[in-house]
Amino acid sequence: MAMVQPRNLKYRVWAARLCMILLLCLVMFPFLMIVSVSFRSGNFATGSLIPENPSLEHWALVLGIPWEAADGTIMQPTFPVLTWLWNSIKVSLITSALILALSTTGAYAFARLRFRFKDHLLTMMMILQMFPAVLALVAFHAFFNKLGNFIPWLGLNTHAALIVSYLGGITMNIWLIKGYFQSIDNALEESAAIDGATPWQAFRYILLPLSVPILAVVFILAFITTIGEYPIASVLLQGADQLTLAVGAKQFLYAQNYLWGDFAAAAVLTGLPITIIFLVAQRYLVSGLTAGGVKG
Amino acid sequence: MAEVKLTKLNKSYDGGKTFVLKNIDLLIKDGEFTAFVGPSGCGKSTLLRMICGLEEISSGDLELEGTRVNDMPPNERRVGMVFQSYALYPHMTVRENMAFGLKLAKMSKDEINQRVEEAARSLQLTHLLDRKPKAMSGGQRQRVAIGRSIVQEPRLFLFDEPLSNLDVALRVQMRQELARLHNRLQTTSIYVTHDQVEAMTLADRIVVLSPLAEGAETNLEQVGAPLELYHNPCNLFVASFIGSPKMNFFSASLLETGEEQSRVKLDCGTELTVFNNTSSAKVGDKVTLGIRPQDVLNHEEECGAGNCITGTIETIERLGNESFIYLKHPDIQEAFIVRVEDSRRREPESAFRVGVPAENCHLFNEAGQAYPRTRSPRFD
Repeated sequence: MAMVQPRNLKYRVWAARLCMILLLCLVMFPFLMIVSVSFRSGNFATGSLIPENPSLEHWALVLGIPWEAADGTIMQPTFPVLTWLWNSIKVSLITSALILALSTTGAYAFARLRFRFKDHLLTMMMILQMFPAVLALVAFHAFFNKLGNFIPWLGLNTHAALIVSYLGGITMNIWLIKGYFQSIDNALEESAAIDGATPWQAFRYILLPLSVPILAVVFILAFITTIGEYPIASVLLQGADQLTLAVGAKQFLYAQNYLWGDFAAAAVLTGLPITIIFLVAQRYLVSGLTAGGVKG
Repeated sequence: MAEVKLTKLNKSYDGGKTFVLKNIDLLIKDGEFTAFVGPSGCGKSTLLRMICGLEEISSGDLELEGTRVNDMPPNERRVGMVFQSYALYPHMTVRENMAFGLKLAKMSKDEINQRVEEAARSLQLTHLLDRKPKAMSGGQRQRVAIGRSIVQEPRLFLFDEPLSNLDVALRVQMRQELARLHNRLQTTSIYVTHDQVEAMTLADRIVVLSPLAEGAETNLEQVGAPLELYHNPCNLFVASFIGSPKMNFFSASLLETGEEQSRVKLDCGTELTVFNNTSSAKVGDKVTLGIRPQDVLNHEEECGAGNCITGTIETIERLGNESFIYLKHPDIQEAFIVRVEDSRRREPESAFRVGVPAENCHLFNEAGQAYPRTRSPRFD
């Protein structure tokens, strides 16, 4: 920037940096705490940030490996944590993919097609979404309980039921994607139609490739929300083998004994898939995809 | 290649309450280059979009090669279109852009390549084939857009103000390329523009559209060859729209009517003879006299039969090869524009008496319809 700046700008830059470092600490501290607890021997929530007696016992137990303590007793892993992790990843991936499929097609309808009550429908969906899904827990339970009598794989304690219940919350995603679609010039699809493309082909080959950044955002958001979701999963899933990690990790904290160390290790484990998904999706979060298509 | 036939075509919104286009009857012959011109809001782009299927036809018939295509979706009409905004697919290279339609048509790879390269060669795009649209200039993008429709070998080319986003020099060059392209391919083409110079230079026939007036039967004003519209505009709207600078209009009344010639009196009192057939009118009828800036004679000595109008010079635009003199005249609101070759002797604020040859005058009745001209205009 060639603009002339006032002299005290330097101090302002430093002040901004200080604020940012403080903010970073605020964000990082809880995370580092969890990591620290997971490597601390025994189950203590408090202690120094760098463990005094680092131990891998919690990680071993969480990963399903028996652990021989210093006094010779062998601790057996209590819960199938790796199964839970797999359940979480499976449910989250399928849910996110389905959410993406539903919200892109839904958003296309709202952004491009003309039909009656379109505006009303959009507002109505928004208002319905304001009612927290948690408050409908009873309904979910009753619904899938009943449904399970007829379609066993969609009953209580199935992942399919959980996925279906998650698909209700796509209004936000529809709004997000709809806004992005509307920023893409309609002339591109019209041009594709003239080139011989059916509406579906124009959507598939023109609109979707240009919307990859917002699709990546929606996918990440859906994945993060699903993998950390507790209330619905805790009601719909019951069998120990069916639990997701978010629900399962709670099992370490029962009234008589809070196994903070095991809980922390499981929590860090939950963060792993999110991190991987984010790193993968990051490549698609690029701007300027539509540059040069139409003269502005 | 195809013939396009429009019969009583209408476009209306709000269930037939607001009309954009009304009663458009038009036959575009095979291989013809037709231009739709008109001021903004006259519906010329809408008409084009109706022909390619991007806009629904409210009523009337649209026939392509003799088949009614009103309800055929755009992807089945086999027409090519070049958009004002180019509308290139930004995530594809030039080659992919041009091959997109061919791939959808499931053409063989070899044939696609052959067609794309041939089109690229004819449009001088070969060295750009692997570039993305954002790395190209406006003119290059426009050529890609043209190439994309050429490779499809459409029955009909549609151009929606394709040059309006280019700068002036490039526009002239692209205009030449389009003319050459049409000469080579001989495909029926429809060209929408608000620039009458483009229409006059490119088109075999021009269709003049006007914004639909309240209670009007149609907004199709006149269809004809460029020079026919220039010399024999059928009404005031076409007369004022075609030609640059605009035709000058004087309010007047008829003194003598006749089949061969008539005599009119301008409101300021000047009497003029004009070669127009006014046998359908009565003496005393209100008329409008039109004369193009180019059709006025510079020297009063040359004016035959004393056909002269006097005005006061307001400003002079000297362009080198010609000058436009803006005169003040009591009967004209704006300015009486006169084109002269030599303006050296002229000074602002001085009086200027110009010759108005009788054969160069246009005459319109109160409703704006032209009285036929009886003599061919005088050329130098």
